[in-house]
Amino acid sequence: MNWRGRLQFALLIIPASVVVLGPILWALSTSLKPNDRIFAVPPRLIPDAPTLTHYARLIAEGVHWSFFNSALYAVTSVVAAVSIGAVAGYALVRFPVRFKPLVLVLFMAALAVPSYALLLPTQIIFVQLGLFDTRLALPILYATHIIPFAVWMTRAHFASVPIELEHAALVDGYSRAEAVWKVILPGAMPAIIAASTFGFLYSWNDYITATTMVDSPARRTLPVALIFFQGFHGRDWGALMAGVIIATLPPVTLFLIFRRHLIGGFSEGSVKG
Amino acid sequence: MAAISSGSTSQTDLTIKGTQAGLQRVGTLLVGPAILLVIAVNVLPAFVGFYSSLRRIFFFTDEGFVGLDNFVAIFSEASTYATIARSFVFTFGSLALAVPLALLVALAVRQLGRRGRLFLTMLLVPWAMSPIVVALLWKWILLPSPGGLLASTFIALGWSPVALLTDPSAAMPTIIVVGVWRNFAFAAIILTAGLGQIPNDLYKAAAVDGHSVWERFRRITLPLLAPSLLIVLCVLTISYFNEVQVIIGLTTGGPINATTTLAYQLYQTGFVELDQGRGNAIAVVMFLINLLLVIAYVRLLGGSKGDGK
Repeated sequence: MNWRGRLQFALLIIPASVVVLGPILWALSTSLKPNDRIFAVPPRLIPDAPTLTHYARLIAEGVHWSFFNSALYAVTSVVAAVSIGAVAGYALVRFPVRFKPLVLVLFMAALAVPSYALLLPTQIIFVQLGLFDTRLALPILYATHIIPFAVWMTRAHFASVPIELEHAALVDGYSRAEAVWKVILPGAMPAIIAASTFGFLYSWNDYITATTMVDSPARRTLPVALIFFQGFHGRDWGALMAGVIIATLPPVTLFLIFRRHLIGGFSEGSVKG
Repeated sequence: MAAISSGSTSQTDLTIKGTQAGLQRVGTLLVGPAILLVIAVNVLPAFVGFYSSLRRIFFFTDEGFVGLDNFVAIFSEASTYATIARSFVFTFGSLALAVPLALLVALAVRQLGRRGRLFLTMLLVPWAMSPIVVALLWKWILLPSPGGLLASTFIALGWSPVALLTDPSAAMPTIIVVGVWRNFAFAAIILTAGLGQIPNDLYKAAAVDGHSVWERFRRITLPLLAPSLLIVLCVLTISYFNEVQVIIGLTTGGPINATTTLAYQLYQTGFVELDQGRGNAIAVVMFLINLLLVIAYVRLLGGSKGDGK
């Protein structure tokens, strides 16, 4: 890259990184400052006496249990959604399915309808069924919200694996299931990773479903626990920013690791329609 | 669509292993769980929502059928119209900021090549964060007293701090900016993919013909990007129109209802006041507005594709 290209890149990336990463770094900085330095004027980005007391305080308040709840709900939802969704995606490509066009419309419509629009009747139904405020409530909802994405992303990849490969495996004496496991699944791995990463971000980052479907402190997710913490200790910004950091690390780390698959999944999906 | 056609060729190929009817049974069995879950969690509540909007339901107690009373009550209140107007201000204000930004980013990403991917990845970091956590973070930055990054910087410069979230005229623009900060880069993914579909030869030909950069953008990029723009407009409109978490986290609808949109009103009426009949009526109104907006976009942009311009 020549100097003009470099200059162009620098002129773009420097202001953009200040706007995008600045607020997150500020939260990290606040979370590491002792209470008597947090309100300093002028503000200092690098804490001069870094401390982990705010993180310790979150643990003392039991917020880590909500972290584990969030992780448990997210992982359960992703595993369920991606296995159910990928099997459906495979069947829609390789098998005759009754009312196939209607089924595809159903999944597309489920993609388009925001889950928030259906939350109030869902709460009424869950209360009637006795699912409200149980450990099943959130995994059921999250998994089902992720399934259409998993179907949509894996279907295109299964379609792109040549049927001849599958036949060759069958001729070699593999069973259908073995053929899928050894030949087809590796080919669809990028889509499975994309759907899993998106599913994790979706479940981990949700607040509104979690706050309306679960009531007991013991079953709370991390975002809900942070909002409750804010309600009780509104001015404890050090601890709140420590909460922001621990709530942000898992999804952002996963996003950075699997960014190619995730961005690829959405760009392919939008181009192919 | 390619997937469907390849699916039907494979049916004939695989009939060696079983009869057509048997295969269909297996296929339906494999798709079944996904279909059942989606129907139970998406379709069923939609019906329950419509049904509940015609009943008086308080605190999970159904007091019976009331016809359109909930809707009449909503639309006989003057504040409802202001709430709907604020929903549009929030939605279109966010779109007006997010779409041009996303388009600029998409153009830059293509221009930068390999480094463009790095640029896009960085811009997507806030999108990977939780909306309510983003709200909490910005509430701290915008705190109008020492400690808040903005206020502390202003004080250090000798200016007086501004209260963006508690000023009735500044609150709405502020939550729009925070909402856009979080997710505009997602639109850039789709637009970047759309730009990648435009053949480079078209630009070369236009350059030979002596068209300016702006003309090339207007005559080639914009019309050929219409399908991607349509997706972006639909996805972002639905996302902003139904945004509630950023509002709960930043302003809880205040100050003096300045940020109470329909989505927030639904939260307040249905989940906080537990007036569930009326809450569902609001949800039905929101659903209809969503639908109308999407239809309008498809008419507007989907139609222009056929003109061949």
